[in-house]
Amino acid sequence: MAAASNAIELKGVSLSFGSNQILTGIDMRVEPGEFICVIGASGSGKTTLLRMIAGLLTPTSGQVLLHGKPVRSPTRRVAVVFQDYGRALLPWRRAYANVSLPLEAGGMPAAQRPARIRELLAKVGLANHEDKFPGQLSGGMQQRLQIARALAQEPDTLLMDEPFGALDAMTRQTLQDEVLRLVSERKTTVFFVTHDIEEALYLGDRVVALDSNPGRVAYDIKVPLPRPRDQLTTREHPEFLRLRREMFEIMNKIHA
Amino acid sequence: MIRSRTLDILLGIAGILILLGLWQLVTSYELISRAFLPGPAATFRSLERGIVEGALLPQTWATIERMLQGWLLASVVAIAIGSLIGVSSTARAYLQPTLEFLRPLPASAIIPVAIAVVGLSWKMVLFVVVFGSVWPTLLATVHGFAHVEPRLVEVSRLLQMSRLAFIFKIGLPNAVPDILAGMRLSLTVALILAVVGELLTGELGLGTAVLHASRQYRADDLYAGIILLGVIGLVSNYGLALADKRILAWKS
Ligand SMILES: Nc1ncnc2c1ncn2[C@@H]1O[C@H](COP(=O)(O)OP(=O)(O)O)[C@@H](O)[C@H]1O
Ligand SMILES: [Mg+2]
Repeated sequence: MAAASNAIELKGVSLSFGSNQILTGIDMRVEPGEFICVIGASGSGKTTLLRMIAGLLTPTSGQVLLHGKPVRSPTRRVAVVFQDYGRALLPWRRAYANVSLPLEAGGMPAAQRPARIRELLAKVGLANHEDKFPGQLSGGMQQRLQIARALAQEPDTLLMDEPFGALDAMTRQTLQDEVLRLVSERKTTVFFVTHDIEEALYLGDRVVALDSNPGRVAYDIKVPLPRPRDQLTTREHPEFLRLRREMFEIMNKIHA
Repeated sequence: MIRSRTLDILLGIAGILILLGLWQLVTSYELISRAFLPGPAATFRSLERGIVEGALLPQTWATIERMLQGWLLASVVAIAIGSLIGVSSTARAYLQPTLEFLRPLPASAIIPVAIAVVGLSWKMVLFVVVFGSVWPTLLATVHGFAHVEPRLVEVSRLLQMSRLAFIFKIGLPNAVPDILAGMRLSLTVALILAVVGELLTGELGLGTAVLHASRQYRADDLYAGIILLGVIGLVSNYGLALADKRILAWKS
């Protein structure tokens, strides 16, 4: 396949903070519309990798390409959902106005915004909460709001950094299904960071595991589970169980 | 212990009543000569003459106007310069040393300069009020910009927001709690300097009214003027506290 057809491509990417080597020799290709999950122990450099793809950090060596073009700075075609929704939302803006931010930044005429904002809020189940400030919403609702804000950019690539790590199990499952539904509607490419093997298998078309110190790709496997996925049947699928076992063993070996 | 608001208000009123009682006692027993400290009754009669019959109204408005003009101008200047310093390291490098030099100068040291430059006029008063009351709000704005959540700076980069958009959508809203606190301090300074300015220029106002009353041994008018000045400070501060609550609704 030609390089230009990759939504995300990393070529020999390394990154150091001072003399501290964080990531080394990362090669990775993500096809358009692919859902890729990245797992790894904390400190293995997952967030750093995501920040380089977002254009917030420049690699020390190697190249990050989006649709064949080197990344120099952030672009609105790429949206990021952070784990710490409490910091990523604008606390002085109501839910409605938080979703409005990317539309304002993208120069959408004011007259067209209300309909779009309400559509997005409805999509994430916040239609009845548009007048609430983030501080008045539960953690799950705040994360939904951050997702709505990311979707407002109409990104072709969505980068998510352990977005459900701080949520309880029930909320996490609901949000996993919502994200799958939302991104399949628009064939969005997703780069999803997690430290939860089951979450990675449940969501991903592919799972990439990082080894630590310095961070590098340990393995990269396809997840040939049928879609749409389902919290009960997918998690009981023989292939899911087999992959889960395999990944646990590999992760144990990596961290041994 | 959680006290109710009503109780707090009652306690505040009780405090004022006790003060009035002490005042009455001191004057009843003539601990201080009535020529220097009139009784509450005489003072309130003078206040009544001044406000209800209107003898002090022009002076009161003149002082309030002087204070508000200087304060608003100082706030605009402070927020503009503070924002500039907040988003531009170049502006910070240019302005910070100058500001650090000017800031510790007492407003009173600026008065002779102001008189030399614009003359002994209302312009001088405005200049001194602005100079003195610009600092709290300026420092608050700079502080507010310096403490923007780093995550939100990233959000602004990811959305490719312009500097101007960053100022208005993230920097300033983030600095608003600090700015409001700074503006409350500034308002007190503005009132003090407005009165000082009146005393120097002799322009119409409560400051000159108090000075004349004192020179003519009209102690009741003197205290009426002082009470009015206190009330202006109290009411404006209370008004700003209310505005704080409404503007910062998202914080609660
Ligand atoms: N700005 C930074 N300066 C120096 N070291 C950093 C910085 N950001 C992250 N690191 C270090 O890089 C390593 C990887 O961090 P991170 O990418 O956040 O890992 P992960 O997301 O996998 O937990 C950690 O050891 C962390 O301390
Ligand atoms: Mg991380």
